[in-house]
Amino acid sequence: MSGADISLGTGSGGGFRLPPHLPVALLPLLALIVALDAYCLVDLARARSARGAPKIVWAIIIVFVSAPIGALVYLFAGREPRRHDPPAAASGQPGAPRPAPPALADDGAAPPPRDLPPILTTSGLTRDYGGTGLFDVDLVVPRGSIYGLVGPNGAGKTTLLSLLAGTRRAGRGSVSLTVARRRIAVCPDLPEFDGWLTAAEVVDLARSLVAPAADGDDVAAALRAAGLADSAARRVGGFSRGMVQRLGLACALVGDPELLILDEPTAALDPAGRAEMLGLVAAMRGRRTVIFSSHILADVQRIADQVGILRDGRLLYQGATRGLIDTYLQPSWLVRIAGDPAPVASAMAGERWATRVQPVAPDTIRIDATSIEAGERGIPAVISACAARQVSCEPAAADLESAFLALTGASA
Amino acid sequence: MIRNVTRRVRAGRMSLWRLEWLRLIRTPRALALAAAFVVLGLLEPALTRYQSQILGHVGNGVRISFPPATPAQGVSSYAGELSGIGLVVVVVLAAGAFSFDARSGLATFLRTRVGNIWQLVTPRFAVWAAAAAIAYLLGTLAAWYETQLLIGPPAVGAMLAGIGCGAVYLAFAVAVTALAASGVRNTLATAGIALAVLLLLPIAGTVHAAEPWLPTTLASAPADLLARTHPLGYYLPTLAVTVAAGAAALGVAALRLRAREI
Repeated sequence: MSGADISLGTGSGGGFRLPPHLPVALLPLLALIVALDAYCLVDLARARSARGAPKIVWAIIIVFVSAPIGALVYLFAGREPRRHDPPAAASGQPGAPRPAPPALADDGAAPPPRDLPPILTTSGLTRDYGGTGLFDVDLVVPRGSIYGLVGPNGAGKTTLLSLLAGTRRAGRGSVSLTVARRRIAVCPDLPEFDGWLTAAEVVDLARSLVAPAADGDDVAAALRAAGLADSAARRVGGFSRGMVQRLGLACALVGDPELLILDEPTAALDPAGRAEMLGLVAAMRGRRTVIFSSHILADVQRIADQVGILRDGRLLYQGATRGLIDTYLQPSWLVRIAGDPAPVASAMAGERWATRVQPVAPDTIRIDATSIEAGERGIPAVISACAARQVSCEPAAADLESAFLALTGASA
Repeated sequence: MIRNVTRRVRAGRMSLWRLEWLRLIRTPRALALAAAFVVLGLLEPALTRYQSQILGHVGNGVRISFPPATPAQGVSSYAGELSGIGLVVVVVLAAGAFSFDARSGLATFLRTRVGNIWQLVTPRFAVWAAAAAIAYLLGTLAAWYETQLLIGPPAVGAMLAGIGCGAVYLAFAVAVTALAASGVRNTLATAGIALAVLLLLPIAGTVHAAEPWLPTTLASAPADLLARTHPLGYYLPTLAVTVAAGAAALGVAALRLRAREI
């Protein structure tokens, strides 16, 4: 480069003659560029769509934008994740079959074992984010239970689960576990995976990290349990959000964890998927301990035997789900009688467990009881004693949502 | 179907090492890495050989005469990309692998399953340093072919020594990228910080006494070895410092990544 002579001349100094070796020298370069462009065009032709622009626009960019820059731009900016499976298997596509429902090992799941130390306890667990966060949480999670963590947005549910999972550190307090860390599996509310891996590879990667001794059968079983057996060979980049959530659960299950921490496990699922997921979690009762957060109180009430209510970073209540309803709600039933309900109403009013009896319709009376158990035992007995014909008897708003509102409203 | 899945999984046997390998071959990363270096290797010697003619056509009346290009210049022009386009491509692609905390869902998946952070750092460093070295080697072979054809045979010993120096420098660049990823989560920010460090480090080389001790001196080693500016022995302290600095960068990166919360 050094030693160049620069002079002014007229004209171009004659026509450019192609040096003899140049075509041979440039042949590999040209071949590389043509191959790259061809690869991109074939890839584009095989793709169902491209990112950011129609396929024809990308084809023009590949062909006409200074080679190989157009091709490289397509590879990094326009290429959709490849799907190597039949289109009909894609979730969320019209006409696509639903993933196989989770195989429930035992619908009548075993009750939580008694007289065992809690699998997890916390003491004064605090993480202060400048006034928000988590404060003095004393959590007790019985072994084998399904523990539902509920609370409004910003209550601290995710922070608490992160502290339990060890992905964040507490400012104060402690977490005590009676299980090895490696026997804990965590599934975040928005699981994410590399889109170019297949579902089987993702679960196998999880297996290799937490249960190296397990084999392909365990991976297949985890995929089947999460309802992803038919999508095992598909790349994750083409999965719907619900399928990714199922995949997160499969990754959690493959290590056969003793404690499963699930953050909003049903958040991305449609009603049918939600029911399947809840069934799957419920079936774990007694075999594993599950801590899950949810803002859908009906889900918690349906499967959780223990519940913790968080609000503004503080644990307002913790204990049996049924106990919460019993404690914070006046148990109440609407009883419909065929014929005149007055004799039944007066008989009910004479019972000690009945705190209030009032007619709400010509054939219906509302009965408030001192406890759920008292009402559930007493009402049928009184109706039977009166020889009345009962049309229906249903709880009046004795659900977790009402209890939650009563609890959080009372604490406001 | 389940039997098929089982068979496929048994054959695959995923690991964090295989994850990085698949990241290379199932995405355009390997292609881009190799293409960048090979294209430069094929292009630079030709540009060096015909620079007079090229400039004569675009010079608008200005005639520039260069002395005949030497084989050393042909390969050196490619080797200069160690601190140019080649470096940028390596750092940007490696940044994508190291910024696993950019997506909290992915970070949770990985971090709650590994015993220690080295399980995540080591495969990423090793695979990306090796990939960068292989891409640089392929580019050098392309430059060698072009130079041999257009200019003349370059010195083999100097080229091999240059390849070694270049590979060590690229491994250092990957380690610096890991260090940058421990400071920020975003991929672009990671690449930006790493490139800023690697491109600004040569400024310290303006202090003459410091030059042999700076890792970035290795970026110019392949060209200088071919031009016989310095013998290989001149770069031995630099190689030692670069290896030590790279190891230190990885160590600090691992410490910082371990301390990071999701």
